[in-house]
Amino acid sequence: MNKNKHLLLWSSLGVFLLLFVAAGQENFGKEWRGIQKASRSTEGALDVRLRQIVNPTLGISDRCVSCHVGMAPGETGMTGPAVTAAHKNVVHQTADYGCTTCHGGQGRATEKADAHGAVHFWPQPMLPMKYSYAGCGTCHSSLNVPNIAGLEKSRSAFERLDCYACHRVEGRGGTIRPGGGGMEGPDLSNIGVRGYAANWYDTHLQRHEQASELPWKNSFGAINDADRAALSDYLATRVGASKLIEAKAQFNSLGCLGCHKVSGVGGDAATDLSRAGERDPGQLNFTHVPGAPILSNWLGEHFRSPLGIVPGSQMPMMGLNEKQIDLLTMYVLSLRRRELPGAFLPKDRVSVARFGAREFATDGATIFSAICAGCHGADGKGARYPGIPPFPAIAGQDFLQLASDEFITETIKQGRPGRKMPAWLSAGSTEAGLKPEEIQRVVAYLRQLGGNMAVITDTNPKRWVKGDAATGARLFAANCSGCHGQKGEGGEGPALHNKILLSSANDRFFVETIGKGRRGTAMKGFLDPSPVRRALTQTEIEAIVTYIRSWEAK
Amino acid sequence: MKAPMIGEHSALQVFRHNLLAAPRRLLDAMFRSGKPTTDRTRSTFVFGNVFLHLHSVRTHRWNLRWTTTMGLGIATTAAFLITLVTGVLLMFYYKPYPDAAYDSIKDIHFVVPTGRFIRNIHRWAANVMVVAVILHMARTFYTAAYRRPREFNWLIGMGLFVITLGLSFTGYLLPWDQLAYWAITIGANIAQSPREVTDALNLTDSFDPGGFQKLLLLGSDIVGDEALIRFYLLHVMVLPLALVALMAVHFWRIRKDGGMVRPVDADARLEPRSAETYPVFTEAPKKTYQLAAIVKGKTPVVGRGPENTVPSMPHLFYAELAVLMLTTLICIGLSLISDAPLKELANPAVPENPAKAPWYFLGLQEMVAFSAFMGGIGIPSVVIIGLGLIPFLDREEQGTGEWFGGKGGWPLVKQAMIVGFGASILIEAFIIRFGWIREWFPHVPQLVITLINPGTVLTLVYGLYSVWLVRRYNSTRAGALGLFTVFLCGFIVLTIIGTYFRGPNWEFFWSPADWPKH
Amino acid sequence: MTVKAGKPQSRLDPDPMPRRDFLGLSALWTMAGALLFSVFGMLKLPKAAVLSSPSKKFSVTLPDSLAAGEVFVPPGRAVAMFRDGEGVHAISTVCTHLGCVVKPTTEGFECPCHGSRFAMDGEVTRGPAPKALAWLKVSNKGGAWVVDEDTKVPPGTKEKA
Repeated sequence: MNKNKHLLLWSSLGVFLLLFVAAGQENFGKEWRGIQKASRSTEGALDVRLRQIVNPTLGISDRCVSCHVGMAPGETGMTGPAVTAAHKNVVHQTADYGCTTCHGGQGRATEKADAHGAVHFWPQPMLPMKYSYAGCGTCHSSLNVPNIAGLEKSRSAFERLDCYACHRVEGRGGTIRPGGGGMEGPDLSNIGVRGYAANWYDTHLQRHEQASELPWKNSFGAINDADRAALSDYLATRVGASKLIEAKAQFNSLGCLGCHKVSGVGGDAATDLSRAGERDPGQLNFTHVPGAPILSNWLGEHFRSPLGIVPGSQMPMMGLNEKQIDLLTMYVLSLRRRELPGAFLPKDRVSVARFGAREFATDGATIFSAICAGCHGADGKGARYPGIPPFPAIAGQDFLQLASDEFITETIKQGRPGRKMPAWLSAGSTEAGLKPEEIQRVVAYLRQLGGNMAVITDTNPKRWVKGDAATGARLFAANCSGCHGQKGEGGEGPALHNKILLSSANDRFFVETIGKGRRGTAMKGFLDPSPVRRALTQTEIEAIVTYIRSWEAK
Repeated sequence: MKAPMIGEHSALQVFRHNLLAAPRRLLDAMFRSGKPTTDRTRSTFVFGNVFLHLHSVRTHRWNLRWTTTMGLGIATTAAFLITLVTGVLLMFYYKPYPDAAYDSIKDIHFVVPTGRFIRNIHRWAANVMVVAVILHMARTFYTAAYRRPREFNWLIGMGLFVITLGLSFTGYLLPWDQLAYWAITIGANIAQSPREVTDALNLTDSFDPGGFQKLLLLGSDIVGDEALIRFYLLHVMVLPLALVALMAVHFWRIRKDGGMVRPVDADARLEPRSAETYPVFTEAPKKTYQLAAIVKGKTPVVGRGPENTVPSMPHLFYAELAVLMLTTLICIGLSLISDAPLKELANPAVPENPAKAPWYFLGLQEMVAFSAFMGGIGIPSVVIIGLGLIPFLDREEQGTGEWFGGKGGWPLVKQAMIVGFGASILIEAFIIRFGWIREWFPHVPQLVITLINPGTVLTLVYGLYSVWLVRRYNSTRAGALGLFTVFLCGFIVLTIIGTYFRGPNWEFFWSPADWPKH
Repeated sequence: MTVKAGKPQSRLDPDPMPRRDFLGLSALWTMAGALLFSVFGMLKLPKAAVLSSPSKKFSVTLPDSLAAGEVFVPPGRAVAMFRDGEGVHAISTVCTHLGCVVKPTTEGFECPCHGSRFAMDGEVTRGPAPKALAWLKVSNKGGAWVVDEDTKVPPGTKEKA
């Protein structure tokens, strides 16, 4: 019996001891307690307790402020460990928006590792500091942004016209009245919150005319249309999350949308990126990713070498520099578009969701660089990526002289079924593409890109060639099939056996292309003699075209 | 006016006296017997108390030896009590709805004071309970305590074992994380697996018990809120109630079946009793027990000379309390070392890879990877039925109450262990190296695989081995010993392989370090 | 009660129960029958007449660039869609073994839970899956494809574009 008494005594003592340990951990051991004890606010020592920001509409209970006390609502003048510092001054108050809405991480957690989310089984770890502003994309997913060139142009207009004299942007400018009661014009850094008056130019001009003294009299004058357009572009980019603009402009310059969709617009050859910034690192393969297993590292490495990270990936090596990779990573991380209650929808989202606005600038240049440039090159000279058949050049003189606007428009609208080129016209249930007026702008931009090359019209009807198809077949096999494929299905060169191409191109397009070739591409003019093959005659070329046309009947 | 008098005291005096005496009288009213100092009062203390009355007033000294029961039954009960208390505490915060369940567990983990600790204890106590119930069953088996007249209690015990596993499984699902979601999915589809047979026989359209069972569990054709509330209800009400009811029967039957089992020569093998335990009933009994006259068989002995028994109060209760606190100590200790897991929020589009059940189901999971129906329903049913039949097939009497049935038992068990471990490891090694029928003949009908798969082959080998043992030793007890041992070994081997050597796509890996990185 | 008075045998063994107690037996059997009937009633209970689960029919637009032999998985659905010269077909990616969602690979499908493998046409090639992945009904609705996850079709059924 004494054995049992001993066992009871010692195990009860053990339970006591362990409960004491647990009580100690619970009441004294928590990290946030230590931080709060070591801090003081303007009102003296802190009341040590769990703090949180709750916003049921956004679905957050963020306890981050238990350690980051300085960011808790109503706490001012904190002194203590660095983590208790107040939040940097941003437009959105932490008290309203919480922390995880922008930064990611696990708001319900009260311990550092769990809260920052870099633990197993938490799909949305915090955004790295470097990419913090990607968090703006949670709500501001629909910024109207041009491409890099457009952005640079608008910025330089703002600079050149010395708007900085009166206005401050990101802490720069607004100095025209030193010591004289602050800036003349408003700070434009965050006009996303208030928006800007569309008639700003008229009101400025009016004030200038009525003014009799400095600075309005001397510092403002009429601005020409082009500059005004550039300034309007600049103002548009300041709406919403201005820190994301550069990243998005980069995305809009590489033709990514040619293959990827973002919120319903874009090609369908590759992954839909609409919420790619929220991907769970736990579902990604980090075998070949150096550094910590976090999404930003994965994305960066993926941009460097897509195939090395995702086996079987069709994404070409884009040959990007580190700055571009950084900006792209930032942009993809920002693709977090959360469903939001109406009260929280920012202006950019509203204008897209309710009024059908675009998430990119809709000038021809931006559309071309956002969608077409990936395959056809930013200069329209085509693109060649390792392991992928080259993409055709479309801004060459020879092409543009032969291709009518209708032909290019039809090609863009209907694409090349079975090839990489999708149909871009929004039609029926698919809203993935472009509006007719946007396609028109792209065509116009393409002409501009090719040195304002207009089409040379002729009087021939669309179909006039009458050759011998059998001869044509023989000649095609001998001369064309090497690049265009045995049955015209395409290879190194574009596919010719294609319904849309055959229906939209006229005979002259084929005849002249074969005869004169396309300068700057692998397509040589077959009328010209060459050391490796004999030249073709006009009749022979017409026979080939007849053969090509014979596919159309099928 | 003259104050009213009661006897020679004023009413007010009486009131004061009564008030002061109330605590003592309350105790008297509760316990009646006074301080349990003498044998008599110790006895009345026991049978005057509804809970203690489950025990007999005197306990045989053999039963108090640690090696007799190892306290495993009490440990199981203790673990159950711990889960009961912690479970009720958790219920105050848990919200059984898919959208809220996961967040409520996060809150329990992070902001409910001691919430994480309580959840850890709940989880560890559940694990301890499963281990204890398995060991308790093994102890009961190896001391042949299932024999007449305890056959029925053995069956009750098996019911308790199944309910314990059911409680574990249903509890596993409540956090609504990835683990939970895919465990529900797999569990519900195991319930549906009779379709494997009905499909092969083209019966499913007219006779579909599998589909009905799945519907019964999920209440819908998807795993959603209906399923969660069902599992919640099972976990917090249906199964605990069933468990408590069966436990009551189980305990009651222990006494009705003649108390704890012990060898016939137990008295001779005990050391001489100490002075403390002797003599009994020093006072003359004030009451005789007429009731005893109608009880047949081994009757409680009243007023007769001493056996090798000691008063249950306090000897047995010290032992029980010691086991209770030891179990508590183990659960709390484990809770401080390791947190209960909580994975990502359930994602119906992406299964866990590998999706592993709790460890005690991984043997089963290893078998469903051979055939869903056989591994999940067929073989477990055969095992359960086999276990239930054992007391009715082994009616021998020799060796009851002895570990392994006395001499010759232990070598036999050792041999059975070699066969049990050997056969299961061999067959696992074989399929890992060479695969199974479908890898050799891709178009083999499913019915063939359902009937002939590593699980059924192993079961057959084990069955034949124990039949051979019955012939070889000319003893049903030998067959039973062998059968139980080989199945236990097979269970252990499959569980270990499932736990440590199965990785993504349920493929074999020597260690998790070799898993493809994610 | 029609009980024959028997001889009391002893103080401890009173009259044996009469063998034919019609009233008692019919009462007991009726009770058993009523309870059994209530159980049958309850068997209807486990499933609501209309399930609250969302519709299993959905509409999907296949990407233009989807080539023969390539797989397209509509987001959030356990369906794999294919298009080739003969038409469009959809294969359920719910494993026939224990309901995990199988992953399309270049050779077919593989299941993460218990290692079943399936060929491109859904046939089982390895592992414990008892039958082939189901082919689902696909219909063409003006450019978009409507897949019905509840309706199975024989393997090989393809819907013309």
